[in-house]
Amino acid sequence: MSRSRTALTPWLLVSPGALLFLGLVILPLILTVILSFHAYDHTTGIRNEFTLSHYATVLSDDYYLGIFWRTLRLAALTTLICAIIGAPEAYILSRMRDPWRSIFLLVIIGPLLVSVVVRAFGWSMLLGSTGLVNQTLQALGLGTVKLLYTETAIVIALVHVMLPFMVIPVWTSLQKLDPMVEAAAWSLGASHFTALRRVVMPQVSLGLLSGSLIVFGLSASAFAIPGLLGGRRLKMAATLVYDEYMHELNWPLGAAIAIIVLLANLVIMLAYNRMVEARARRTLG
Amino acid sequence: MGFLTLQSLSKVYGELAAVADVDLSVAKGEFVSLLGPSGCGKTTTLQMIAGLVEPSGGKITLDGRDITHEKPSKRGLGIVFQSYALFPHMTVAENVAFGLEMRKVAKAERDRRVKEMLALVHLAALADRYPRQLSGGQRQRVAIARALVISPPVLLLDEPLSNLDAKLREEMQFELRRIQRSVGTTTIMVTHDQAEALSISDRVVVMEQGRMTQIDAPYRLYERPATAFISSFVGKMNRIEGVWRRNGASGTAEVAGLVLPSEIVDFADGAAVALSLRPEKIVLKAPGQGVTDGRIVNRFFLGSYWLFNVETAIGLIAVSVPNHGDEPAGEGEAVSLDWAPASLKVSALHAAAGAAA
Repeated sequence: MSRSRTALTPWLLVSPGALLFLGLVILPLILTVILSFHAYDHTTGIRNEFTLSHYATVLSDDYYLGIFWRTLRLAALTTLICAIIGAPEAYILSRMRDPWRSIFLLVIIGPLLVSVVVRAFGWSMLLGSTGLVNQTLQALGLGTVKLLYTETAIVIALVHVMLPFMVIPVWTSLQKLDPMVEAAAWSLGASHFTALRRVVMPQVSLGLLSGSLIVFGLSASAFAIPGLLGGRRLKMAATLVYDEYMHELNWPLGAAIAIIVLLANLVIMLAYNRMVEARARRTLG
Repeated sequence: MGFLTLQSLSKVYGELAAVADVDLSVAKGEFVSLLGPSGCGKTTTLQMIAGLVEPSGGKITLDGRDITHEKPSKRGLGIVFQSYALFPHMTVAENVAFGLEMRKVAKAERDRRVKEMLALVHLAALADRYPRQLSGGQRQRVAIARALVISPPVLLLDEPLSNLDAKLREEMQFELRRIQRSVGTTTIMVTHDQAEALSISDRVVVMEQGRMTQIDAPYRLYERPATAFISSFVGKMNRIEGVWRRNGASGTAEVAGLVLPSEIVDFADGAAVALSLRPEKIVLKAPGQGVTDGRIVNRFFLGSYWLFNVETAIGLIAVSVPNHGDEPAGEGEAVSLDWAPASLKVSALHAAAGAAA
């Protein structure tokens, strides 16, 4: 093999992936950025004029800011609940013997095989005003509660969808843990709980970190669940963008919102990653 | 009654008896090794003492107190794990301090004891390093310091040297004994390495298939192995089958019509016997001057000694000769083997064969 071909090989190998990424991610993203600076008129549509007005509108209007704030709040809450449920779940999973471990791993990953839309409809049937939850509450004589089209419904469904993305990274980092480390802590006088808190938890923090990033990112950009369980009035960022494009037909404004959400998401995730990872890397190496 | 006693301790996994009827009494300050091949139940025994494996039957007492079903965190024993199981996210000092912290020892006192312990294992300069920044031998010493700092009544060592390279292993062996002597902690070590067990223990317990087959001081174990298995497992051994010819109160061992000088035992005339002879007890002489003549099949130079395999009338015999600096007889040369009568041990053949099966 000649020298020049050897040098070219890596480039040739990455080119299909790179082209796909360029064509389907980078290019549309650039077009979206360009679109967001176009002027828009309700009667004539998109005009070929440069303007910053869309950004100004979004960042100064309480309506939009409220939706951004809700998006971040619900995504953070979902992440927190996923961590609280997912970390113990992963720990229990890692302590299981083999036939059970495989079965339960499948149970955890299984829901990913069902479309998010189908699962969202499932939840809307459960949480609706005449759904299973309210029927049960009524049968117990507790009256009904409004769940569907509330933030609670969105968070419940998001947690359900996102849990595997938390369990799997935590489980992976638990796999790397020397099982004797816990026994060592017990032998030194630590209770089971103390051993978990002082010895196991710090070592799975990197898994917890990557799990949190995945869950937060996916939750903040979730579309189907807030769309179906939040209803027309309870919007999140992704449903807002959809409405601007499809109902208002104000594409430039929709593009501006999409870019702002993307940047906010990036900044939050990078900052979080830096903060936690720097600390974990220092000690875990 | 010993300081730590095991009474008919056993562990059954389904059909398999991993440990069966182990009885052991360890005196205070003693260093006892559990020696055996992998799967002989020595690690399971250690884990039952540590409280990490629940015994199926039997009793463990420590200083008169029944600890059979006590939680590991309440037993207060120091354990050094095979993998060391150091806490990777804590520094050396934090690792060592962990046990004291769990015992709610005040900060000043804790720092003092950690410092003392790190000095004992020669790691004072590395207190602020993380385990991943240490070499294997240093990690091992951190593990020992962490186990000893809580002043445990008993120190348990699970194959502590198996992850170290040969040279370091030898150094750490003596280091371990030095530390144990200076602290005076009763110690139980699990190992599959006979040299390790012999060199640093007060007593060695040999385990085979879940059972203890011999408990003895290292040199007695070496000189008087109870079974064929032990004699082949502990050091090198030439085993020859022969017949005992009784002659009044005395008698001789006979192999292939040849009378061999041996110790005197009380066996019936014509009894089948197993004769064992350590390679280093044999002296090479000029042909015709020893007990039996032979020819050197191969010769290996092992630094401090030479190892020969000699083809003789009584079979292929291994002989080891200290290296005195001159080149000894080479391959193919005729030699004669000689030994002191007391060096040839005689035991009943059926017992030895039974244990080996």
